[in-house]
Formats: sequence, C-alpha cells, structure tokens
Amino acid sequence: MFIKNILLIISLILTGITSAKEIRGIELPSGEEVEIRVFPAKGNILIIGFACDNGKSKHEEATSESLAEDGIEVWMPDMLGTYMLPKSRSSYNEIPNEDLTHIIYEAISTNKEVYIVASGPDTQLLLKTAAHWKKEYPDYKDLKGAILLFPRLNDGAPEPGVEPKYIESVGSTTIPLMVLEGGRTPNRWGLNHLSAKLASGGSRVISKIVPDIRGYFFNRADPNRTEDIVTSQLSGLIKVSLFYLQESSK
Amino acid sequence: MKKIFLLLLLSLSLQANSAHLKPYSGSIKNPTISLKDLKGETHTLAQYQGKVVLVQFWATYCPPCVKEMPSMNNMQDKLAKAGVPFKILAIDMAETKAEVEAFVKRIKPEFTILMDETGSSIGQWNVFAAPSNFIINKQGQIAYTLFGGVEWDSQEIIDKITELSKQ
Repeated sequence: MFIKNILLIISLILTGITSAKEIRGIELPSGEEVEIRVFPAKGNILIIGFACDNGKSKHEEATSESLAEDGIEVWMPDMLGTYMLPKSRSSYNEIPNEDLTHIIYEAISTNKEVYIVASGPDTQLLLKTAAHWKKEYPDYKDLKGAILLFPRLNDGAPEPGVEPKYIESVGSTTIPLMVLEGGRTPNRWGLNHLSAKLASGGSRVISKIVPDIRGYFFNRADPNRTEDIVTSQLSGLIKVSLFYLQESSK
Repeated sequence: MKKIFLLLLLSLSLQANSAHLKPYSGSIKNPTISLKDLKGETHTLAQYQGKVVLVQFWATYCPPCVKEMPSMNNMQDKLAKAGVPFKILAIDMAETKAEVEAFVKRIKPEFTILMDETGSSIGQWNVFAAPSNFIINKQGQIAYTLFGGVEWDSQEIIDKITELSKQ
C-alpha cells in the first residue's frame, strides 16, 4: 500500500512536470514555422535557449522545468530541425537572420524581460542573433542580455603562439553578456582574451570560471562529482548569471 | 574501380592521420621557460640551446594529449638512436602536482614534465588550447607549431626534426 502510494505520487509529479511544457509554433519571415518548446511561468523574465540538439540533451528540459518552477519562462526553439539542418557549425550560417530576430521579437511581445542563453558552439548562433537584433531593432531595449555557457567561438582551429581569431559576430552586439567557462578546460586560458573581444562591441561582459569542470561536462559519460553537481544545478547557474546581468544593468 | 576507390580511401585516411607542422607565424621572438619538473629541478629553455626542443602545453583532462604520449616516447627513442639532439619539455597547464604525479604513474611518459601551477608560461606563450606544440630550433626560436593530437613518431615528423637539427 505504501509503495503504491509512493508510485502514485511519483506519477503525479511526473505528469505535472510533463504537462508544464507546451509546444508552440511561430511562423517565420522565411515562411518556415519554428516549433518552440515553451515552459510557461508567471514571472517577468523570459529566457530563449538556443539549444540546437532538438531536445536530445537530457538536461535541458529538466533545467527549463526548474527555471519555470521559479517563475522564469523558457522558450526552446528547434532551430536546426526547422530547416532540416545537421548539427554542425556551418548550419548556423544557413539560418536566416530575420527568422532569428523574429523569435526575439515574439518573445519581447510578451512584455517580459528577454535573455538568451546557449552553450558550446551554439553560442555562435546566439551571438549571430544578438548582432542582427542590434541591426534590425536598434531602438528596442528589451533584449536584456545573454548567457554564454562554455562558449566555442573560434573561427578555425587555434594556432599555438598566436592570438585566437573569432567568428564575425564576436564584438558585434551591445547587450550585456555573462560568460561561464570550466576550470578544467584549456579554454579558460582564453577567457580574458575572449571577454575583451566581446566587450569591444560595447557590451558589458562578466566572465566567471566554474572550478573543477571540463568542457561539455553535461554531456560526458564519465562526469566527476563537481560535474554531476553542476549539471543538476544548471538552473541555479543560469539564475546566478541573470542576477549578475541584472546587477550590471543598474 | 574497386581498387581505385580503396586507394583513394587509403590516401584520405593517411592524410587525416598525417601531422602538419606549420612554420610559426606569430610574434613571440625570444621564448623563455623557467619551470620545475616533478622532482623540483628547474629547467630553462636556454639550457637546451643546441638541441631541437618540443615544447608541449598539455593537461591530464585533455584526451588527445593523453593519447599521443606513447608516440612521444617512441619519437624520443627514435631520435636518440639516430643521434639527433632533441628534448621534450611537456608543460602541464596549471594542475596540481598530485594530479600530475598520479597521471604519470598511470601513463608513464618518459620525457620531462614541467609544472606551471600558476599558468604564467601559458600566457607568455599565447596558448589558448591543448595540446599546443612548439618546435624550437637549435638557436632557441620557434620554428614550427602544431595544434591537436598527432602520432609524433610518424616518419614525416621525424624527418622534419632531423632536418631542423642540421640547421
């Protein structure tokens, strides 16, 4: 009887979590319709997560649910699936800029403060979006900032002994940026250099190193204890980042 | 037709595995090192003038760094047997001595491991990724660089280092 009750409670909790997500379609200027996983919330902050893995990451939904529970609405547009594009860096350039900015425009139409977030190479798409938002909607101030988790923004392979080159959209936005990098990745040594380049466009850039974690730690088969903790607390990391971005805007 | 396809495939796979030492095009003119090895002995780059030196920046958490270490052991052996004056200085990127010692016990690199616990040389050498490799000529200047893991005991690399040792 006790076990039955426990199972009933677990199933109710799971049902509740699943029903929190909605699928919403938005028609884009290119004529395509993007499918957005929406985790609705009543607060005044909306995060758009440019995750380009069509929901395959086991952590992004749990993170979104946790944020929504804390009043932060999350939209996860399926950017690659919309255009039938493969998961590769070259795909980001195939996505029309007007479509990307239209999603931001729709989010801003909710009258919430909008932030964008992406991790790894997907941060390239995030910056491309921010750069074109600035060009297309210079008077709109409601795109409040962006969170770049463990960004990978190099243009080509790194060359030892030579300063890195970044993709064109680095330094092309003015929105505040929060950059997080792992302490156990060589990229941490480039964090200051990258932050300076990001700031060269006029953005306030806050960068932090998360100790003891490796690159792509949330997708690793052999996570260490810290990586396990940070993965399960990704929503906390995002909330801390939002706090920094909000403070920097005051 | 099948033969041509197989030859094409073989040539592509050889290309994918071949190392590409790039002539150095950066701005570091007089590179220096002064770091301790795991026994506490200080090594400088200047003390190896007259030898070709492979300076590698690596970390225990970097999979390609770990994978290529046996080929670095082989490379060192091959060059020593051929009488080529050569030295490897593998600089760990700011990990603790305990971490590196445990790693050395397991992987058994036979070359000099240097500790840069503060990361000071990483900045000086403009290193932003691992493994970052620098081939230093006998005069102490950076001749070639290479990013990423490779088979260091490949004939192409052995030949290039042998050639450099004659200059």
